[in-house]
Amino acid sequence: MTGRAMSRLPWAVLRGLVGLIYVFMLGPIIITATVSFNAANQSRFPPVGLSLHWWAEALSPRWLQPLGFSVKLALLAAIITTLLGLPLAFGLTRYRFPGREVLIALSLGPLALPALVTGIGLLQLFQISGFGFLLGFPALLIAHVIICLPFCVRTVAIGLQAMPAKVEQAAASLGARPRTVFLEVTLPLIKSGLFAGASFAFIQSFTDYSISLFLSRAGMQPISVTILSFLDYGFAPTLAAVAVISMVAPLVLIFLVQHFFRIGDFVYGAGGGA
Amino acid sequence: MPEPSVHLDGISKNFGDTVAVDRIDLVVEHGEFLTLLGPSGCGKTTTLNLIAGFLAPDAGAISLAGRPVNDLPPFRRDMGLVFQDYALFPHMSVAQNIAFGLRMRRIDRREIAQRVGEALGLVQLAGLGERRPTELSGGQRQRVALARALVIRPTVLLLDEPLSNLDLKLREDMRLEIMALQRKLAIATILVTHDQSEALVVSDRIAVMNRGRIEQVGRPAEIYERPASRFVAEFIGTMNFVAGQAVSSATAGHVCVVRTDYGQLTAPAPRAMRAGQQVQIAFRPERCRLAAATKPEAGAFLAVPGQVCQHVYLGTRTEVHVALQAGGHCIVELSNDGEQTLPAVGDDVCILLKGQDCSVVPTG
Repeated sequence: MTGRAMSRLPWAVLRGLVGLIYVFMLGPIIITATVSFNAANQSRFPPVGLSLHWWAEALSPRWLQPLGFSVKLALLAAIITTLLGLPLAFGLTRYRFPGREVLIALSLGPLALPALVTGIGLLQLFQISGFGFLLGFPALLIAHVIICLPFCVRTVAIGLQAMPAKVEQAAASLGARPRTVFLEVTLPLIKSGLFAGASFAFIQSFTDYSISLFLSRAGMQPISVTILSFLDYGFAPTLAAVAVISMVAPLVLIFLVQHFFRIGDFVYGAGGGA
Repeated sequence: MPEPSVHLDGISKNFGDTVAVDRIDLVVEHGEFLTLLGPSGCGKTTTLNLIAGFLAPDAGAISLAGRPVNDLPPFRRDMGLVFQDYALFPHMSVAQNIAFGLRMRRIDRREIAQRVGEALGLVQLAGLGERRPTELSGGQRQRVALARALVIRPTVLLLDEPLSNLDLKLREDMRLEIMALQRKLAIATILVTHDQSEALVVSDRIAVMNRGRIEQVGRPAEIYERPASRFVAEFIGTMNFVAGQAVSSATAGHVCVVRTDYGQLTAPAPRAMRAGQQVQIAFRPERCRLAAATKPEAGAFLAVPGQVCQHVYLGTRTEVHVALQAGGHCIVELSNDGEQTLPAVGDDVCILLKGQDCSVVPTG
């Protein structure tokens, strides 16, 4: 075997693997999208006939209301998480203080626990402590902030650690007050970490169902839980249409953030950029 | 006489149980280039951070141009700082980096543009203002950092190991460039470095630090030729030692008679000596001669007998390593001027010392 053929083999394997990943990632999406156009109330693939009936159904208030609820919940959760995660990451990376280890454990803990356990635990906490009236939007928001925080703290902390050493001291020596140093030097340099954290938080909140299942109440239910309860009646083409619609929100977000703030650079390193 | 640019009066700084800076007194005159030289952990960077205001001293007073600054935060101290890893703002262009300090001083836009242009010219980067720091070489980045620090016309320029990230050739060029710039602007400058040759080249005066204290302050030639302590003698260049005992007492800067195993020598003592004190005669490899052991020369020389154990050929010179008869080891340098005959390895030789070429330092 020639050296050339030897070096070609690994690439062929890699190409095959990437192809498989695409099949398994895109396959379900394509099938789901196609199924939603079935004429009959059956999830057939390939679809039988062509109808927009299920799409009309999916765009009715019955589905749009929980979808809007989810978007609102995820946006607020992302904002609050970011506002909490920024100072938390700052404190954890910059200072050594008593209780730091505990805080690290607490802010990363939810990553390690099965979400279902966190959900049941939170439900009991709300009920036992007499805060049962918070169930619905407030409880969901609190719970989502808790599960989203680890992502945000991590990404911001990575941003802070990746910041070139001493730029803040340099700014101070040039006459910048602490507030100016933060706004003009620190913040721009951790910006992509911050937006990466916020996007992860949004997606985490938007796609969560295992915690939301316990903390929702009638009329205050995210789309994931609504889909899940509808599944009790079987998988209808309506659900396929709803699923496609619910994919739009995170996709739009990822596109926007990637376009303006380049999370890819944050995760994989900027090509020659700062 | 104007106030000195920097005046440190008995400043100390502890980190927990570690004494980082121990009662340091230091004056840097207007326009002077002073180097804090010492090994890592000697307290030189801590001293710089105390002057810049990133750390607060536990004791002592710091004044800049006659103004006490102990209670002033860094952004009010009017310092130009250059860091080892440049610390340029990666999200700003070169021109924006240089303009930052001027913007903080609320200087109007036209003057900023003009002064940034001048600063770029000063460090030979004219035309590169729109580049990003990441598009520049290490040497260019260091020039931007210099321009950014100088453009604010600071009271003092602080340089924290500014050249140690550059390769040797560039480092040597930048040394001369920084030196020329500093002389031209006549700005008081404190350089922190562990590189003794850098210190010797650029400084008006060197303060050698060890374990939080200043061991000696002096002009480069004084530091090199008249080290006041064994530490200074060993830290800068190569130094040989022969042990002895002071016969007479001596005041600082005067000669002292030292008795050794090989006879007596009268040599200058940079520090005061007591009669009977254990001392070392310190001498440089290039400030002694070799003679055949069979014909000792009489007179003002002290002859230290030994045996050649190694040659180290260095091009411009050869180091001859000599094992002393009484134990110990010395290095004698013979310049490659074509006049010298190298004794062979294994030859018995004498190292000849003249008092004026030696310094007497306390043992330990």
